[in-house]
Amino acid sequence: MNIKKFKYYLRIWWHLNVKNILPVFNHNPTIIVFLIGKIIRFTFFGGFIYFLLKGTNTLAGYSLNQTLFFFLTFNLIDIIGQFLFREVYRFRPQIISGTFDFILTKPMSPLFRVLLGGADATDLITIPPLVILVWYIGNLLNPSGLAIFYYVILVLNGLVISAAFHILVLAMGIITLEIDHTVMIYRDLVGLGRFPIDIYKEPLRSLITFIVPIGLMISIPAKAFMGLINPIGVISSVLFGMALFMLSLQFWKYALKKYTSASS
Amino acid sequence: MFQIILTYFLWNSVFADTNTEVFGYNREKILTYVFGIIIIRALVFSARSVDIPGEIADGKLSNYLIRPINYFKYWLTRDLSSKALNLAFSISEFIILAIILKPPLFFQSNLLYILLFLIILLLANYLIFVIRMIVSFVTFWMPELAWGAQFIFMMIITEFLSGAVFPLDIFPDTWQKTINLTPFPYLVFFPLQVYLGQITIVESMQGIMVALFWSLILSIIMKKIWLSGLKIYSSEGR
Repeated sequence: MNIKKFKYYLRIWWHLNVKNILPVFNHNPTIIVFLIGKIIRFTFFGGFIYFLLKGTNTLAGYSLNQTLFFFLTFNLIDIIGQFLFREVYRFRPQIISGTFDFILTKPMSPLFRVLLGGADATDLITIPPLVILVWYIGNLLNPSGLAIFYYVILVLNGLVISAAFHILVLAMGIITLEIDHTVMIYRDLVGLGRFPIDIYKEPLRSLITFIVPIGLMISIPAKAFMGLINPIGVISSVLFGMALFMLSLQFWKYALKKYTSASS
Repeated sequence: MFQIILTYFLWNSVFADTNTEVFGYNREKILTYVFGIIIIRALVFSARSVDIPGEIADGKLSNYLIRPINYFKYWLTRDLSSKALNLAFSISEFIILAIILKPPLFFQSNLLYILLFLIILLLANYLIFVIRMIVSFVTFWMPELAWGAQFIFMMIITEFLSGAVFPLDIFPDTWQKTINLTPFPYLVFFPLQVYLGQITIVESMQGIMVALFWSLILSIIMKKIWLSGLKIYSSEGR
C-alpha cells in the first residue's frame, strides 16, 4: 500500500469514526452507562487479582505486579481491538438484508469498511487511562529498553492477530450468515488471556498458544516485557501473526466470492 | 464454558500444591466452588424476565395489563421454565468438564447442610427475580436505559458481588462484612458456603434470615416501584 492510498483510507476512517464519536456521546446516555459498566468490571477484576495475589504471593510463579501487567496487557489489546473492529458486530444485518451490496459498490475496500468502519466510542475514553496504567505498572517491573521495544512490537502483533480473528469472523459470516455467536466464542477465548497462559495445563496451553493463538496475542507481549522471551521468540511470534493475517485475507477473498446478495 | 475453564485453571494453579490452604479453602473445596458455580449460575441467573425492560420501552407491556393474569406470577413462571431448561444444559456442561478435568470434588454428607442449601437456593431464586424486576422498572422513567441498567446491575455488579466470578472470601474482612449486608452474596456465594460447610449451622441460619429480610424488603420496594411506574407508563409505540 502506497502513502497516497494510506492517507486516503486514513481520511475515510476519520470521517467514518472520529467525527461521529462526539455526537454519539451527546445523544446517547446508554453509552455513558456502558462506559461505567466497563470501568466497574475492570476494577472488580483488578481488585480480584490484587487481593488474590496478596493472599497467595505468586500465581504460576509471577508476582502481583507481573500478574497485573498480564491483565493490563490483555485489556490493552482487547479494548483497542474492540475500539477498532466494533463494526464487525454490526455486519450480520448487512448480510441478511443485502445492504452489504451498497458497500461493495463504493470506491474503497469492503473489508476496510466492515472491519474498521464503526469504532466504539466508549473505548476511546478507556484507552488513555489504560495506557497510563500499563506504563505505571510496567515501570515497577524495571524493564530494559529492548524489552519495551519488544513489547510495543508484540502488542502491535497482538492487534494484527486480533484483526485476523475479526476478518475470519466476517468471512465466516458471509458463508454461514452467523456472526454473533462466532464473535462471542472469540471473546470468550480471548478472555482466557486475562491471566498468564502458564496457569493452563497441556494440551490446552499449546492449543491456546499455537492453534488459537491467544497466548501469542496477549501473554507473549507481557512475557517479552519481563525479559522472558528471546529475540527468536519475538521474530517467530511476528511471523506467525503475519501468516495468520495473510491467511485471514485469503479466507475473506474466498468468502466474498461466495456472497450471493440473496436478500437484496 | 471458557469462563469456568479460566476460573478452574486459575484456582488449580493457586492450589498446585495439594496441601495448600488459602482463604479458608483447600484444593477440593475451591474446585467444588468453581464447579458449583456452573449449576448455581444456571439456576439463579437464567431468566426470561430479561425481556421486561424492552417490553416496557416499546409499549408491549400493555398486552399484559389487559390480560387477567398476575404480571409477577407470569414472569416468575417463565423464569422457572428457563431455569429448568438451563439447569439441564448446565448439568451436561458439569459432567463434560468433570470428565475432562477430573477435579477432586467435595460431596456434602451432612443432611442439615443440604437442607439449608436447598432453602437458600430457593431464596436466591426469589431474590434475583425481585432484583431484576426492580432494575427492569427503571425503564418506566428512563426507557433509553432499558438495557444499560440491566448491563450494569445484572451483568456486572450482581455477578461480581454474588460470588459468581470468584469467592468473596478473598476480600478483607471489613469488605466481606459490608458485602454480606447487601442481598448479592445470598445469590451464589452463600449457597455454596453452606453446601461446602464453610460456615456453621448457626451462621447458615443467620444468613437465611438476612436473605429472608431482603426478600421481604425488596418485594415491598418492587411493588411500590411497579405501581409508581404504571402511573407514568404511556404505552409509547403502541
